[in-house]
Amino acid sequence: MPTANTIFPIHGPVDLLTRLDSPDPETKLKALREIKNQIIGNRTKKLSFLKLGAVPAVASILSSYATQSDSQLVDADVSTSSIIVQSAAVLGSFACGFDAGVRAVLDAGVFPHLIRLLSNLDEKVVDASARSLRMIYQSRLAPKYEFVQEKNMEFLISLINSECENVTGLGASIITHSCQTSTEQRALCDAGILKKLISLLEGSLSQKNATLESLAAVFKKNPEVISKFVGLENERAVESSLSQRDSSLESPGTVIKNNTESVFKFVGPESGSALSSIIELTKDRYARTRLLACMCLVVIRNASPNYLQDMGIKAKLVYLLLELLDDPGQVGDEASFVFSSLVAGKKDLQQLAFENNAINKFCNQLQKSQLHPKRLQGVLLALADLCSKLESCRLTFLSLKVLNQVIDALTHDCADVRTSACICLRSVTRSIKNLCAGYFMNEMLVIPIIRLLDDPSVSVQVAALGVISNIVVDFTTRKSTFIQCGGVKQLVQLTKSMHSTVRFNALWALKNMMFLADDRCKEGIFLELTGSLLASLISDPEPCVQEQALALVRNLVDGCIKSIEYVFAEDGTLLDAVGRQLHNVSDEVGIQGMYLLGNVASGNELHKEAVLQQLLAQADNGAQSFVIKFLQSSDSRLRTAAVWVIVNLTFPSCPGAFGRLVQLKNAGIISQIRNMVNDSCLDVKLRVRTVITQSMTFGDGLT
Amino acid sequence: MMSLFWIVIRQLEEIEAMAASKKVITRAEWEKKLNDVKIRKEDMNRLVMNFLVTEGYVDAAEKFQMESGTDPGIDLATITDRMAVKKAVQCGNVEDAIEKVNDLNPEILDTNPQLFFHLQQQRFIELIRNGKVEEALEFAQEELAPRGEENQSFLEELERTVALLAFEDVSNCPVGGLLDISQRLKTASEVNAAILTSQSREKDPKLPNLLKMLLWAQNQLDERAAYPRIKDLSTAMLEDPAI
Repeated sequence: MPTANTIFPIHGPVDLLTRLDSPDPETKLKALREIKNQIIGNRTKKLSFLKLGAVPAVASILSSYATQSDSQLVDADVSTSSIIVQSAAVLGSFACGFDAGVRAVLDAGVFPHLIRLLSNLDEKVVDASARSLRMIYQSRLAPKYEFVQEKNMEFLISLINSECENVTGLGASIITHSCQTSTEQRALCDAGILKKLISLLEGSLSQKNATLESLAAVFKKNPEVISKFVGLENERAVESSLSQRDSSLESPGTVIKNNTESVFKFVGPESGSALSSIIELTKDRYARTRLLACMCLVVIRNASPNYLQDMGIKAKLVYLLLELLDDPGQVGDEASFVFSSLVAGKKDLQQLAFENNAINKFCNQLQKSQLHPKRLQGVLLALADLCSKLESCRLTFLSLKVLNQVIDALTHDCADVRTSACICLRSVTRSIKNLCAGYFMNEMLVIPIIRLLDDPSVSVQVAALGVISNIVVDFTTRKSTFIQCGGVKQLVQLTKSMHSTVRFNALWALKNMMFLADDRCKEGIFLELTGSLLASLISDPEPCVQEQALALVRNLVDGCIKSIEYVFAEDGTLLDAVGRQLHNVSDEVGIQGMYLLGNVASGNELHKEAVLQQLLAQADNGAQSFVIKFLQSSDSRLRTAAVWVIVNLTFPSCPGAFGRLVQLKNAGIISQIRNMVNDSCLDVKLRVRTVITQSMTFGDGLT
Repeated sequence: MMSLFWIVIRQLEEIEAMAASKKVITRAEWEKKLNDVKIRKEDMNRLVMNFLVTEGYVDAAEKFQMESGTDPGIDLATITDRMAVKKAVQCGNVEDAIEKVNDLNPEILDTNPQLFFHLQQQRFIELIRNGKVEEALEFAQEELAPRGEENQSFLEELERTVALLAFEDVSNCPVGGLLDISQRLKTASEVNAAILTSQSREKDPKLPNLLKMLLWAQNQLDERAAYPRIKDLSTAMLEDPAI
């Protein structure tokens, strides 16, 4: 029997839940407090209470006492308030960093009650409700708040203007969570929220952090709002800079007053502005605040390249984020994600980061054992972005001998980690130098990657296909390693996936495998794929899949005459599919289709005749022949590809060339080509002249 | 060669001249200079209030607020609460401390896994100290082990702590240090700092820093001048320069 002074909770979860039902408010209150103290900080306890149905039980207490408190109006009973405060705290804790808890709280229908309690007369009730709502809004499961509606906007503004720290924090969290479209961003801006948010940047720690996050949401990809934000504060900067100078310099002040341009020059685009208050926070005492300030600046930079362009601030962001990476907790985990968004797609910043030893810093992280999955994911993504464009980064990465750690991550329990390991490998395997050396085509890498093609997560499959697409572009003859490991079978299987991105990426990989492959390799792949599957992929509903299928066949028939025979297999279904598809396609798909036909037209007489028949075949609706449409296209790449087909069909030394020329002429194709002698694209012009020269060898009989 | 020699000599002379010219400032001059420095009374009061609030002297702070009109910048009741939490840990009543922190702000322990782990660790240590080995064992399984699973970085410390179970004479074992009062103080100060952070306050008062800066500045000045310096911080007496 437990004694009174035992340190263990006297009551087990089941007992506590029975006590919640007690009619005695005192017992209820005690039970609530005890549940609260057991679950706070304790995920396992949260889970076990959750399974016992604690959330709906507490929610119904909150709801009924909230209604009671409404009817009592002024003099709410102390115990009523305490019960509301405690139950709100319990619900808030269930919702804190625990998705299952958030879902349960939302399902319990307690949300509107918590909102209503924000206007309660008891400060403690308001504070506790706001805190719980804030927890809920920190989860992505929270319902979106439609503040664009006028009434809701008024409510949001009242939250932001509140005296209570948790209530303003809630307002900021709602913005962070619910501001997603540019219309919503503009609505907040027009409602004057920015000004208020700027003032909150000077508030308490939690206000600062919540505000920085919400500002990032309002700025995201919206240069208009950002420029308003900067403009807003410049006014203030001018006022202060003017007042400082008023006494000594009266005339320059009046000149500046109504001239923003000169103000800009006078105070500099960033000094004293709202931007500078965010920049200032990158030096804050608290790591989280520094991180969020960096994040805000990165969002601004990515949306409005005009701001934050000077080298100093770029270098500073790189430096700060690399420094934050050393934080052992959540801040360090998140720092790599912010770093990624800073350098992604930007060569100059990747270079700058490279010069600041970023590769070494991230690789050092990889060498630590038992990294938190979130951190591992972030580090891999950061390395992926760093190595996406610069060979120097890839070479440094490879020299640091962490490839094995990345390969280990391919089999990590967490799908996000597996995906990011693939994305990292995709960037690294772009190194042509190492690709040529066959560095990546070894079983240690190939086998786990092929296994990922079976992964239950589509994003892992797609990412793995990305790596395969790179490593099979192998200029040596090592493709066989991949085939021996069963890679082709898997890829072919994935071309039948329900997800178009998977089909697309699988075809992409196969296309790259086909590139300059030897006959045996081609045959192996074709036998696996079959003509009928390829034909159906060419007629796929998704244009991007069609394009890859055509490009694959283009690579298949490239090379010796024997390869061309593949399109005639199964009674020419494949070639028919190509012809049929080309009647109604986008430029990109057309380009691949025409190169495919061009390759086939480089074959023997039978091949050429078959292509000609495809060109002359009328569309079902009797519309213009696709080749004329392509020749008239505004895309010079498509015109080039189309003329190439004609060049190959009319090659004069072939016996049937004259006959084909006559048929092309009758179809109006030759006259279309004659109209193109002065094409704006040099490539097109050159091929057009080749066709004309070739046709001239048959003399005037043609004209 | 010759010219280089002369340059060296000249530099030596200059250094000697500097040493010889180390300025002497008499007490009278010094006091006059100090008189010219203006310090606002309100600033002093705020420093004192900052000290009282951060160190947790609630009654003094309350009196000081009444007598000097200085705004403590915080609800003084929260100081009482914070001090109660700190004291509870210092006395080994960790469970009580946890309940108090949760009443103060339920977010602190929900968002600070490391602090929560340290408090649980301290609870375990107290059980061992009180000889409740069986309870300690159960507690380790039920409460500490899941923390290690959730967060790998706690594992090492967890193992070290649970090792207390393996020894007959815990005070004389390799991990016996955990039973020292210093461990309690460490945990208490961690909770104290977390509460202050949640209230957006710094965990250290400003006054000690000002005194540190004073000592540093005196050391800098010592190289250039002889002046009445403060040796004993507790009396802040000016001592005549040694000439």
